[in-house]
Amino acid sequence: MTGAAAANQPVPLLAVRDLRVYFSPAGQDGPPVRAVDAVSFDLADGAALGIVGETASGKTSIARALLGLHPPGSTRGSIRLTGQELVDLLEEEWRPIRWRRVAMAAQSSGSAFDPLYRLGEQIAEPLRAHLGLAGREAQERVEALARRVGLEPRHLRAYPHQLSGGEKQRAMLAMALCCGPELLVLDEPTSGQDVLSRARLIDLLDQIRQESGAGLLLISHDLAAVARLTGRVAVLYAGKLVEVGPTAAVLAHPRHPYTWGLLNAYPNMTTARDLRGIRGRLPDPADPPPGCRFHPRCTQAVERCRHEEPPLALAGDRLVACHLGGLQTLLRADGLRKVFSGHGRPGPEEERVEAVREASLELLEGEVVALVGETGSGKTTLGRLLVGLLQADGGRVVFEGQDLAAASGRQRKALQRRIQLVAQDPFDAVSPRLTVAEIVREPLDVQKVGPAAEREEKVRRALQAVGLPVDPAFLTRRAHELSGGQLQRVAIARALVLDPKLIVADEPVSMLDASEQAKLINLLKEIQNERGMGLLLISHDLALVRKVADRIVVMRDGEIVEEGLAGRVVAQPRHPYTRALLEAAPAFAWEDVEERDEGGVILEKQSVIPAQAGIHPE
Amino acid sequence: MQRRILSYLLTLWIVLTVNFLLPRLLPGDPLAALLDPQSSDYVFDAEARAALEAYYGLDRPLPEQYGRYLLGAFTGDLGRSIRLNRPVGELIGAHLPWTLLLTGTALFLASLLALLGGTEAAWRRGSWRDRVLVTAGVVAGNAPVYFVGMMLLILFGAWLGWLPLAGGRTPFAHYDTPLAAAADVGRHLLLPALTLTLALVGAKFLLVRSSVVSVLSEDFMLVLRAKGLSEGRLKWAHALRNALLPFVAHLAAHASMAITGAVFIEALFNYPGMGRLIFEAVGARDYPLIQGVFLVVSTVVLTANLLADWLNARLDPRLRAEQ
Repeated sequence: MTGAAAANQPVPLLAVRDLRVYFSPAGQDGPPVRAVDAVSFDLADGAALGIVGETASGKTSIARALLGLHPPGSTRGSIRLTGQELVDLLEEEWRPIRWRRVAMAAQSSGSAFDPLYRLGEQIAEPLRAHLGLAGREAQERVEALARRVGLEPRHLRAYPHQLSGGEKQRAMLAMALCCGPELLVLDEPTSGQDVLSRARLIDLLDQIRQESGAGLLLISHDLAAVARLTGRVAVLYAGKLVEVGPTAAVLAHPRHPYTWGLLNAYPNMTTARDLRGIRGRLPDPADPPPGCRFHPRCTQAVERCRHEEPPLALAGDRLVACHLGGLQTLLRADGLRKVFSGHGRPGPEEERVEAVREASLELLEGEVVALVGETGSGKTTLGRLLVGLLQADGGRVVFEGQDLAAASGRQRKALQRRIQLVAQDPFDAVSPRLTVAEIVREPLDVQKVGPAAEREEKVRRALQAVGLPVDPAFLTRRAHELSGGQLQRVAIARALVLDPKLIVADEPVSMLDASEQAKLINLLKEIQNERGMGLLLISHDLALVRKVADRIVVMRDGEIVEEGLAGRVVAQPRHPYTRALLEAAPAFAWEDVEERDEGGVILEKQSVIPAQAGIHPE
Repeated sequence: MQRRILSYLLTLWIVLTVNFLLPRLLPGDPLAALLDPQSSDYVFDAEARAALEAYYGLDRPLPEQYGRYLLGAFTGDLGRSIRLNRPVGELIGAHLPWTLLLTGTALFLASLLALLGGTEAAWRRGSWRDRVLVTAGVVAGNAPVYFVGMMLLILFGAWLGWLPLAGGRTPFAHYDTPLAAAADVGRHLLLPALTLTLALVGAKFLLVRSSVVSVLSEDFMLVLRAKGLSEGRLKWAHALRNALLPFVAHLAAHASMAITGAVFIEALFNYPGMGRLIFEAVGARDYPLIQGVFLVVSTVVLTANLLADWLNARLDPRLRAEQ
């Protein structure tokens, strides 16, 4: 920051610039480990900033740096509190700042209190140290603080081991507030609490935030708490900030792939989908990957990400550290139209069927989108348009930034390797006379990928990925000898064998029984998550696809009528047709089942409402 | 606490019983040598011989012997010393206070040094001061007691002549005031107490240091530092205060070591305590005396343990809750 710029702006409560925290690796010699790397952020007076990230991402190291708790010399960069530089202060110089100006409610409140002193005594300690309060005066102040956080005098007389986790967390908060700090650092205030105490604690924190007027730095992996309490959020990955912006905007429309993955892994009552973690694991801080630290786990990483570290750059309303400017759109369809006339031949006007009308949709990197609609809604046609099996009569399909229709012959071939279709009926899609090995190898043969041995190896790996055996007996079986479930797995293996970037699966499980459906849909999601592909799931079964879809697109009569995050669409459908689909989804009428429970005749009256009921035929 | 006292009474009973059974399990009659005129250990004093026979009453049935023995133990009748020809209880009564004075002083000094030094060293762990203290602790803990004592005797007693060479006080001295008496006892106490302190301080210092180091790595120490408390408060009121718990337990366990450690030192300085009594008793195979001393030492150690338990409960609210 230049002097001139600083003079023009009001001095923020907290200005952190290029903060780095080093640790010497335990038990061994070697270069120091950077737990926090070049982190910069501002916090205005009375504002609230959330820092989110996985465990061991360096969140707590930032909190401790703000109180000077790291060994001398291990914190570099600049931390300014209302303009005063804090880095490299001596221990004695830190003392009047600690708790008086910057206070902290530490993580793991369970072990945050000295077990040998009563809580009241421990809360009063900073009062004596900083404000010179003792005896009755201190006592009254502590009691007032305790009331404010919802504790009673008996809690103050208790020793730490006599209180519950929630009570200790409150006491910790009372202690943090006791000297009226300008900056309150909350390190995982809600971790380890049960849901009810957590909710009450968040309410309390919100109230305190409003009353105290202190700047609030909330360090947490609890996204709900961050959403509720902070105006801005910074996402930390392996010690570096990857995205900084307004909390509501970042959580609603994440831009960095990591933020997006973090949100997808966060359990929420409005998500119906099963949780998936971000693939891979947090890098070893002693040996971070070169280039962008997230690239080994990123589904959209390009060559540049492996070598060059992306800077945190301004992108619209926020800062994002990504070479590609954030989450990429893998596939985009704009105003697609398809008209069938007669039996595919030109004919009279009245025979024309508009199968797809002005359909637009987007699929992000590593995203699972479900395209839902009943039979005849045009979803299969749309799917075929997207993979290039059909020529659109209007609009365009852009895959990885390349227009499918405009692609030259060689480009088309390359593109086709990257988009694969899994058809509805595997018996239709593959020749019954071919062996399993031949079916899976065929795309490799067509695309002329590598020598024969390599192809065999790829076939084996694809079959293993879908959980099928790879012994010669199975490889030489013919398609007509396989069960429906097995054949569909073979079809998926066939799609996987070219390492596609996008799989369009058209009703991949509709031919199977319920148990096999569940297994296969989970397998698809697992493979998608593991390989970081995009997946467009075309289905009529909303109940099934909502378990795996990130977003749901609803189609009716060739038109897209509703589109949104899976949780939102399921919980608050906007279009009447979506509502009808949801109401028609199979459901046990529990009253009927339970009424009969006592008599022991349970199965007799399990009424299952069929999926199609309730939707008027088109 | 009541349960604990009960368990100590039980332990005491077991000690007493072992003490009773041990000589009776030895091959042959323990008194045979003493009562046989042909033996070199024959007790010539008829009165002492009679007292021995009466005390042991070996011709009586075992339960009756046991009953008499227990009764004797509780009434302070511990039998008669063969060599010194005096009641064992009386001998112990004359020597125990000296040992308690010596070991008490040494334990107090060693603990004080260990607590101060250990906390400081832990606070500055890794610094040169810490390293010097740790080395000194290891050397002091492993140096032979008699060698250290001898050196001190030569330096301060013989060479400089500042302090008396031997004894608990000046023989045949008459004191005008109790203060003068105390000064004389103190002058005699100084060298043996110093020797014992040096022997004890090393292990205690290392224990305090490692306890404080482990307390310093606790979460709550970080929070206390974050609270901006003074270094003194962090060090003494919190770090050391928490490290006191293992220290007190250690003190109790090492009470017996302090007493046996005193054996060498009392012999060396000719100090009139239990150690010298044990030394003489073992040298002369004075079984009644050995048994009596064993009983008293056991009781002292047990009492020390009981005290430590009580103290730890005072120090640690978590233990208080259990009781």
